[in-house]
Amino acid sequence: MDHESDREQRYSDTAIQRYSEFVALLARHDQSIRRFVRSLLPSRDGVDDVVQDTALECWNKFSEFQPESLDDSVQEFIRWACIIARYKAMSWQRDKARDRLVFRESVIERLAQAAIDNLDQQELEQSAIESCLGKLHDDQRRLVLSVHSPGESIAAIAEETGEAARRLYSKVNALRKRLLDCVEQRIAAEVGNG
Amino acid sequence: MDEATRNLIFKAIDQTIVPAEFDRLQDAIEQDDEVRAEYLRAVTLCESLSEIASEASEPNAIASRPAHDDRTWKAPAACAVGAHWQSLSWSMIGLAATILLTVGGAAFWFGLQKSGTTNVADRGEQSVERNESQIAGHATLRRSVDLKWSAGGNEYRDGDVLTNGRLQFEEGVAEIDFFCGATLIVEGPAALNIESDWSVKVASGRLRANVPPAARGFIVKAAGSEIIDLGTEFALEVKSENARVEVIDGELEIRGGEHDGSHLLTGERQWLKGADTAESFDGLSTIDELKSRQENAASERFAAWQAHAEELRQDDRLIAYFPIAAGQHREPTALAAGGDGGTELHTGPDANAFGSRTVRNVARTGDGLNGKLIGPVEHSSGRFGSKSSGLNFGRPGSRVRTRIDGEYQAFSFACWVRIDGLEHVYNALFMSDGYETGELHWQIRNDGRLMFSVMVDDTQKIRRFSELDQREVETAGLARVYYSDPIWDISKSGQWFHLAAVYDPAGRQVMQYANGKQVGSHEILDKFHIDTLRIGAAEIGNWGQPFRKTPWFSVRNLNGTIDELAIFDAALTSEEITTLFQNGKPLGY
Repeated sequence: MDHESDREQRYSDTAIQRYSEFVALLARHDQSIRRFVRSLLPSRDGVDDVVQDTALECWNKFSEFQPESLDDSVQEFIRWACIIARYKAMSWQRDKARDRLVFRESVIERLAQAAIDNLDQQELEQSAIESCLGKLHDDQRRLVLSVHSPGESIAAIAEETGEAARRLYSKVNALRKRLLDCVEQRIAAEVGNG
Repeated sequence: MDEATRNLIFKAIDQTIVPAEFDRLQDAIEQDDEVRAEYLRAVTLCESLSEIASEASEPNAIASRPAHDDRTWKAPAACAVGAHWQSLSWSMIGLAATILLTVGGAAFWFGLQKSGTTNVADRGEQSVERNESQIAGHATLRRSVDLKWSAGGNEYRDGDVLTNGRLQFEEGVAEIDFFCGATLIVEGPAALNIESDWSVKVASGRLRANVPPAARGFIVKAAGSEIIDLGTEFALEVKSENARVEVIDGELEIRGGEHDGSHLLTGERQWLKGADTAESFDGLSTIDELKSRQENAASERFAAWQAHAEELRQDDRLIAYFPIAAGQHREPTALAAGGDGGTELHTGPDANAFGSRTVRNVARTGDGLNGKLIGPVEHSSGRFGSKSSGLNFGRPGSRVRTRIDGEYQAFSFACWVRIDGLEHVYNALFMSDGYETGELHWQIRNDGRLMFSVMVDDTQKIRRFSELDQREVETAGLARVYYSDPIWDISKSGQWFHLAAVYDPAGRQVMQYANGKQVGSHEILDKFHIDTLRIGAAEIGNWGQPFRKTPWFSVRNLNGTIDELAIFDAALTSEEITTLFQNGKPLGY
């Protein structure tokens, strides 16, 4: 009997360890997975659902995830999880296809592949965005962030400044394009300089 | 990218797009790589802006904010609801809570912090621009001989800044310079506690303290007393049973304990604790002895490395091997006797009116691959001390040029480098000139990450506007830069590192190493796969850009010293890299 309980104990120790490993990997890549899912869905609607489905599926299939070494596991996990997330994003959109605008599967495939190829550029992109945002004047920065802020809106700024909302929106779009150009250039420069 | 497509992208992200437009956008995303990339970048940008915006706003505002049905028009809908709670997933919150319970958060960082802790403050990219960097510490481990650090405690290398706290070793001798100007030579076994620039507590050990006028007032605490040095030199021994102090030259004062207030002059000694014995302080190391012991130990290490280097140069996989440490102006050695038979290691056949400005390739590939010193490259000491050589690339025009033709199936680069600073955005280790298809760049970014890259397709040019030239310029095409974890920060200035990069097209991976430990591992994706590798005209310690069409050049010289570089046409295993590190490591590693 003692042997049996030993075995059970060992089994549960391994299971706990495996779970801890999984949770650590998932937590580390949470943001990357979200970003990946977001880029496959036309809006934020559904991102939470798909990420959650992905997390559960990853856990269910975690026994199949066999990285070659501990060092590789961090790298491999995110690619593995993204492939699962791609299927989850597709099936979510399949369900919703009748109610709203969603990407067709061939588009999701292409976007997913491009996004997976870019996974290791995320850090670079993030620092480019921050530094490009830093180059804007304070009022420009406030304006472009305003459409993304919970407390502010174009409407509020329009009211405050007396400018037409439509005019402000086209300003916001011009700033976003400028940021995109800046980010693009910084990444091109970094790659070219590599 | 045309404006119309860009507008469609933002309309899609903002959810103001109509079905016909959405179809057009989908077609473009499917068919055009550029639109696809632009779409992904725009989504990322909007997500990041949301995160930044919600970080800046008050957390309370989130709860009180009504749903966005109060918006007066539809435009920035998707982006506008970037409240922070939306960027967290509920499943993740549950899981994250579990992590904290089960693994204490430690596993969260595994893989990130392999190289231990750093004592440098403010390492974020943003703060580097704004804040002065700071290092915590009170003293420097100037040099050491045969130190064996106690298990479980901090381990330091020569040149390291010592922070406050315990310093404990079982064997060996350490010379410690306190920032106030006092120097201690400590013999193991010893246990000290560094308290400040001006004070140290000795739990056990034998030491000699030298206190110049600038450091007058330096306090050594031992056996319940404080020894205040009033000038020059004293010796101290602390054991579990007894402790005594002796003035070698000058004067000191004892405070606290039974001898509180007493002054000792040259030659006088006092027991702070325990019984008198006849034992004297004879045999305590002096700086000269330490220096000569250290030099002897360094020479042994140097000789051992030379034997390994002699073996290594026979390796058929070597494309080139520059064992610079073996000496610029030394007598011919066994190492130098290869190739064309007996010329000095670095003074090749062109030691003529231009002097010895050659770095010899001692691999079987021969003198044709020798490097040529250009500009203000300075000869400095290598990693085995003054008897070994190194090349310092600290000034912008410093470079060693070489030309390595041929095609290769894999690359392994290994070098020993002392990094004094990373002032430039990119700091060169070894760079192909033109960065054409198949050519490589190996460098260090200013955040301490190693970068290794191979140009995959230089025909895929990207045009960008150059602020310097005030016109559009072409930059190189398709390449992927592989970054390691950060391996360097300013607290490691002056330390020697063994760095290695393995680019393995067949195994489809890129591995990077620092001091024999893996610090980067990346898969080579199909898009970035290339199996014919080249070097061409290239430089050690700098980047030559002979094809550039503008007078501007990027400043990428390495502010540091390189004293060995080996290049292989093979993917070395991690064991082989570790062996290279072990065979070549200097004293104190």
